[in-house]
Amino acid sequence: MGNAIGRAVDARDALAEIVRGEHVSDDPATLAGFTRDHSDELPIPPWFVVRPGDESQVRELVGWANATGTPLVPVSSGPPHFRGDTVPGRPGAVVVDLRRMKAIRRIDRRNKLAVIEPGVTYAQLQPALAAEGLRVVTPLRPRAGKSVIAALLEREPTLVPRYHYAFPEPLRNCGVVWGNGEATYTGEAGYGPPSLDAQWAAGMRQVDPKGPAQTDFVRLLSGAQGTLGIVTWASVKCTLLPETRKVVFVPAHRLEHLIGVCGRLQRLRLGEEVLLASGSLLASLMAPMREADRSELPPWTLVVGLAGRAMFPEECLAVQETDVREVVADLGREHGLEVADGLPGIDSDGMLEILTGVSAEPYWRLADKGDCREVFFNATLDKLPDLVAAALWLAEESGYPAADVGVYIQPQQQGVVHHCEFTLPFDPADADEAAAVRAFHTTAVERLAPAGAYFSRPYGPWANPVYARDGGSTAMLRTIKGVFDPNNVLNPGKLCFR
Amino acid sequence: MGFTPEVYKLFEDIVGPENVSDDPAVLDSYAFEVLADLVRPEQSHYMPRPVAVALPGTTEEVQALVRVCNVHRIKVKPLSTGWYHFAAPQSDEHDTLQLDMRRMDRILEIDETNMVAVIEPYVIAAQLQAEVMKLGLNINVTGAGASCSILASACAYAGQGPMAYWMGGNAENLLALEWVTPTGDVVRTGSLGSGAGWFAAEGPGPSVRGVCRGTFGSRGGMGVYTKCAIKLCHRPGTTEWNVHGTTPAYRLPVDDLFRVYTLAVPSWDAWADLYYKIYDNEIGYIFHRQFNLAGANLAPAFWLMYNDHTKTLGDVEWMAQDPAVKELTEEMRISFQFIMAGRSTGDIELQDRVLDALLQQVGGWKVERFCEDDMAEFTNMYLQRLGHKHINYVWAGGYVGTWMQIGTPDWVKNYIPIASAGLERDAADGLLVQCGGDAMMGSGSGFPGGGVTGLEQFVSYDANDLESTRAAVRHMEDAVKDAASHGLPPGKEGLYLELSKTDEQVHAELAAANQPAIFRFQRKIKDAIDPNDIGDRLYATLPPEG
Repeated sequence: MGNAIGRAVDARDALAEIVRGEHVSDDPATLAGFTRDHSDELPIPPWFVVRPGDESQVRELVGWANATGTPLVPVSSGPPHFRGDTVPGRPGAVVVDLRRMKAIRRIDRRNKLAVIEPGVTYAQLQPALAAEGLRVVTPLRPRAGKSVIAALLEREPTLVPRYHYAFPEPLRNCGVVWGNGEATYTGEAGYGPPSLDAQWAAGMRQVDPKGPAQTDFVRLLSGAQGTLGIVTWASVKCTLLPETRKVVFVPAHRLEHLIGVCGRLQRLRLGEEVLLASGSLLASLMAPMREADRSELPPWTLVVGLAGRAMFPEECLAVQETDVREVVADLGREHGLEVADGLPGIDSDGMLEILTGVSAEPYWRLADKGDCREVFFNATLDKLPDLVAAALWLAEESGYPAADVGVYIQPQQQGVVHHCEFTLPFDPADADEAAAVRAFHTTAVERLAPAGAYFSRPYGPWANPVYARDGGSTAMLRTIKGVFDPNNVLNPGKLCFR
Repeated sequence: MGFTPEVYKLFEDIVGPENVSDDPAVLDSYAFEVLADLVRPEQSHYMPRPVAVALPGTTEEVQALVRVCNVHRIKVKPLSTGWYHFAAPQSDEHDTLQLDMRRMDRILEIDETNMVAVIEPYVIAAQLQAEVMKLGLNINVTGAGASCSILASACAYAGQGPMAYWMGGNAENLLALEWVTPTGDVVRTGSLGSGAGWFAAEGPGPSVRGVCRGTFGSRGGMGVYTKCAIKLCHRPGTTEWNVHGTTPAYRLPVDDLFRVYTLAVPSWDAWADLYYKIYDNEIGYIFHRQFNLAGANLAPAFWLMYNDHTKTLGDVEWMAQDPAVKELTEEMRISFQFIMAGRSTGDIELQDRVLDALLQQVGGWKVERFCEDDMAEFTNMYLQRLGHKHINYVWAGGYVGTWMQIGTPDWVKNYIPIASAGLERDAADGLLVQCGGDAMMGSGSGFPGGGVTGLEQFVSYDANDLESTRAAVRHMEDAVKDAASHGLPPGKEGLYLELSKTDEQVHAELAAANQPAIFRFQRKIKDAIDPNDIGDRLYATLPPEG
């Protein structure tokens, strides 16, 4: 016991020296904030929570972790957390809370680029960008405390498919402290001196994500759940802030009826935000809604944002709208599809606010019942109707009403990949409902993967069945882990790094 | 250890005797490579000769060959269509088996709905493009041209081209991938490994391709890529190509939904401004500084000659002196080609309005002669297909690209005068083609949506003349020095010159890089993935530790 206390005192002293005293905590309330989240991951309290203030402190922390064999769990976003990736997978871990590192290092209007630290949130970044006539494309209604870098590293789907050339767009270059303590820059920045100021002085920008050399480390870091390296800054590609905006809606009784139109819009790269949503998802997003409106929402809606920017913005938007209406008239005629300017309780302005802002408190996914679980995977557009039907069937089978499942489909990579997500709100005090949701969540991989659902981001209990399907990638990823984090100090227990 | 008759028999057992050879004449045909003369002793046209060449027909055959090479410590060098000396064996000291992938030439699938094609290594861009165009789709044909392997560009080399601005470079367009690793294991990346098809590149979890497909791929130095999926994109307008004209200047009529222009600006500042404004306004489909590869002093005369079937190369000299052509030469001294495509009539008309407004803002103009029907149709054919790679060698039979450091337009515009002055100086003795110092060409953007560009200096020399070849080498060395003296990294010439250096020299340069840790990691990756060192040094690393 005495030894354990001694080790803790030593550790606290060492950590305090690295992060300067007040930024290390083992206060029970602080630890409790990282012990569990809205997932079914086994609650494990961290040993300490530390809040480094800069890259050098992160490097020292990783060096200390390697020297002492202490697991580190990097966390960039504020609560609530949902997927278990920020819950320690081992006892005795130190949470590296990066929220102190929240500087917007540079906004470059000419190159439409922002360079930010991991603690920068969407709520913080968007107003700063707007002042320069820019914006960053966001995930769907991110929570206020969501780190921009964390969202992009985890390949959260973003709302404008035509700007999503490839994953993990719009993330471009990163500064990384790897698990072995080495620090490098990724992409174009990997060719320059290891100092952003020096690169900027030399006229270098951090635009091209590929490289350096034979590597594409930003892709390696994506989806890694903090198991390979800790990102200390990143460049993020922005777009011009639209000068004129509008949202139109294409309601439908069946998802199948919207597939052709959605696919055509992607192919033509038409529209700003483009997504498919079930009525229940729209209701959650727009909450609180009048019950009369909620019950009138169509089962499925294709939401299409339109935007005009740069030269002739009004004309640009008008041409887009004409083209969207033509596509719907052409491909939707068979199913009686029409473009609508609004839905019951939802108009263009209201939807724009949803698509361009951050969530109010409480976070919209929790607002309905206090808790929720998400199941998500990637698929091609043509497979979605069957996969959605299978998932909703599984929900019913698990004891959860299919009608209450929020379904969100986000085209990515200009329509080649589609993120398909099911949100199941539940009352944590209702044991039956909670059990039904958990049953759905834990069996999703085994039931949906054989039908073509690709679980590209295997959190928590999904990791084992997902990696069991892909022995080649699993072996290679373990080899790679051994290169970058040979002592397995970064977030051990996640993905296939058990 | 090494290559023996017994090993040869093993190769025969795997691919059949008709698909393997150690005939010196056959092997020399693989060692003979473009640009070898710039990096090999005594300006030899031959890279190291492989000990054998094998033509596998399946992934399983590739796997078996690689495993034999592991056992016998023979290096493996895959070759699809080849382009440059990178495709040949790199070491005189080691036995190398050349894998010629030409039997794996199938388009396995074209999925129109999801805009995905699945291909084998020897599918060339022209072949895939012809098939997808029937469906109103298109691919990014890289700067290497229509005759080159799409898989190689996507997995193993650079992958940019005139179309990358709208369609994405093939690094971005690479989806799932089948990779025979240097130890002979098969890794199927992204959705493919999970049995979900070819559509997704990443995951599950981290993206495995992150260790081998960077700015450049592994250039044949880290295993063999046997199949991949590539992202397709829309091509508006007719799917029927009514090509006409006289060889070699075939012409493609400009569809109503297309516009084909050569644009010019008064200064390099205006050039950069126009690039940024094009990015901001999201107009354009194919965006390239193409015709200037013939040199700013000669390009207009050359292309007018090329389009006049009554004239030959020998006419260029006097044509360039024609007052009207001289005027045109000045008019288009800083120019580039720009093809716009609209998804609708309203869209293309709006793009036209935007372009006119942008030109007015920067003081630019459309080069009228090159926008007339004949030259517009020729430009359309050239850039939609990129089937004119012979032009690279038209002046004197040899060409080497220098410069082309990638960066923002503001960064690139600063090295153009340095590169131009350097070529003018190095060509002054007449051993390199004197076509004006600025023979710089390249993509409007190497990344989709704009943002990064780079201009390559097209240096023409006589590859069969020793003095001219040596002058080209000196120019490459000078370009490195010119860049360094202005605080710039080496360009393409640095990559080429690397092939002439010893391992020790290469290691010393990598150790002196701004971030040598990158190459320490690449060393560790190589040690872990290629423990028997069957890949070559084009997967760049520091030396083994200890």
